[in-house]
Amino acid sequence: MTQEHFFPSLERMKSIQLPNGGFPYHAGEEAQPDATAWAIIALSAYAFDRESCDRGRAYLVSQQANDGRISLSPTHPEASWPTPLAILAWQRSSQSHEAQSRAIDYLIRFTGQHFPNPDPSISGHDTAILGWPWIADTHSWVIPTGLAIIALQQIGLGAHARVVEGENMLINRQLPHGGWNYGNTFVFGKELHPLPESTGVALQALAGTTPKPEVEQSLAYLLHELPRLRTPLSLGWALLGLGAWGLKPPNAKDLAMASLQRQDRYGPYPLPSLALLLCAVEASQGLHSLFKSSPREILSHSAHD
Amino acid sequence: MTTPRTHAEQSTLTRRQLLQACLVGGGLAVSGLSLLQWFSSTRLTAQTFIVQAETYGSDLAMLIRRGLQELGVTSSEIKGKRILLKPNLVEPHLSLSHINTHPLVVRGAVEAFLHFGAASVVVAEGPGHRHDTLLVLEESGLADVLYEDRIPFHDLNTMEGVTRRNLGSYMKLATLTFPRLVQEVDWVVSLAKMKTHHWAGATLSMKNFFGMMPGNYYGWPKNVLHQAGIRQSILDINATLKPHFAIVDGITGMEGDGPIMGTPIQAGVLVMGRNLPAVDATCCRIMGINPQKIEYLRYADQWLGPIHDSLIEQRGESWRAIQTPFALIPEIPAHQGIRLG
Repeated sequence: MTQEHFFPSLERMKSIQLPNGGFPYHAGEEAQPDATAWAIIALSAYAFDRESCDRGRAYLVSQQANDGRISLSPTHPEASWPTPLAILAWQRSSQSHEAQSRAIDYLIRFTGQHFPNPDPSISGHDTAILGWPWIADTHSWVIPTGLAIIALQQIGLGAHARVVEGENMLINRQLPHGGWNYGNTFVFGKELHPLPESTGVALQALAGTTPKPEVEQSLAYLLHELPRLRTPLSLGWALLGLGAWGLKPPNAKDLAMASLQRQDRYGPYPLPSLALLLCAVEASQGLHSLFKSSPREILSHSAHD
Repeated sequence: MTTPRTHAEQSTLTRRQLLQACLVGGGLAVSGLSLLQWFSSTRLTAQTFIVQAETYGSDLAMLIRRGLQELGVTSSEIKGKRILLKPNLVEPHLSLSHINTHPLVVRGAVEAFLHFGAASVVVAEGPGHRHDTLLVLEESGLADVLYEDRIPFHDLNTMEGVTRRNLGSYMKLATLTFPRLVQEVDWVVSLAKMKTHHWAGATLSMKNFFGMMPGNYYGWPKNVLHQAGIRQSILDINATLKPHFAIVDGITGMEGDGPIMGTPIQAGVLVMGRNLPAVDATCCRIMGINPQKIEYLRYADQWLGPIHDSLIEQRGESWRAIQTPFALIPEIPAHQGIRLG
């Protein structure tokens, strides 16, 4: 199976780009920053349409708040979880350097609500370790923390104290039997169930810095889950998470194609899920491998300390 | 059907009112009215319908149609209306079917509303824990039913939001963001699961609307709501959304450490009604839980609806006849002292 098999999906993505440069979840809807960022990352990974990506990046710049955040909408500044996705989408563009730099500053300053665990018998994780929340003024959870770490790693801040603490937070939230839930471990003494999407994000974020034995059970969980995953979000993150540890299965393209064919049943996938899956197919060793050919110089570490 | 009162209109029975009631009780009795009748006439009342269904193989569409009829829902009321069914699919896992509203209950509700002449019936959910809504659909078994029956589904977590003024006042949030779909339907129906809950005591038709709030705006879990207070959020969401009907799947419920980690229990029942606090209070009684001890129900009482047994007219089965006490966990604070005496 060749790259061309996925061109119709890329064409579909490109076809729903709006005149303002943004991408919606589905045709006929308004542009969303997360959908736009994922579209740019995927289209860039396939070198599919540079002009389309540039327009998308310009849209993201137009959505940036004064403090650097990219929120779901200007009326919901607290929903700033798309910020790391925008940082990744701007990674290949020298024209977006200033916007990306401001977003990085915001992301490093931003955290969730953290506090000493009032009763570990009720909630099992260490609630004091800093991570990133979905929404401002709430607790930090696995997926937004993973996305923030991935973005900061990608721009060269993998050794930043916030990233290191975020990685510690993810390790603390890992379930004893492997995998990650949305971010709790034990509640009232019971270990919660792992989820493939959270596990894929966390494994991608921890790759390259965490000793493999520390995540061995999570890798085993995801490898066990992989054959039954057919939805683009879970399959996409599973392929990226495993790929980041050198465990991308040889039949990844077949799995992805089978997932895409299920749109006959469910209708068109939302753009972020579709783009994620296409990224997972193209990435040889996790998400960072998509950016290896980036023409941009990596930003200096010291600028964001 | 009851109309939710505003906070200013909310009447709780104070000692002064009770004294007044006692004082007039004698006179009313003389004039042929009992104290209970006088009490009831000044308070919100509602009807609920309870029907036994031993298994999911029962003719659920017929049972739900019967419930609609018993509760005074007519074809002329439903004809041409667009119906949104909101099941409870918080965190499905393969082989753990007691976590979610059963797909066959969803199918039965769709068929019942279409039978009554609904213009359209859509199913929508914003799972509270899982980011991958499509996987939730597949693992819950609902995807197959929706596909076979050509029933449209909407992922509420990623849907564009519409902001409404918060008509409650418990959350300290001036506005609430709902999925735009609520603007495009005429009836919102809570298609809940009968479960204990380790934070709220019980999760039924009112708590089910946590899944109405888009994850893109409220996170996974819906942490903004937890931060604002579970009781407060349940009340304000229901006060603002103004749902029209509830059907609670208690055929197989969950007892113990709900809403995810509990164990299945066969209660063999569907509970329905137009008024959600009344439906949830009835469910609590079936579960052997005192609704007065469930905080959000106590606050909803006589504001969003009645929860007192004497103010809820039971149609169909009597809750006493089919009561199935759900196991509670003594170590869980929300379960302490809530057992129906």
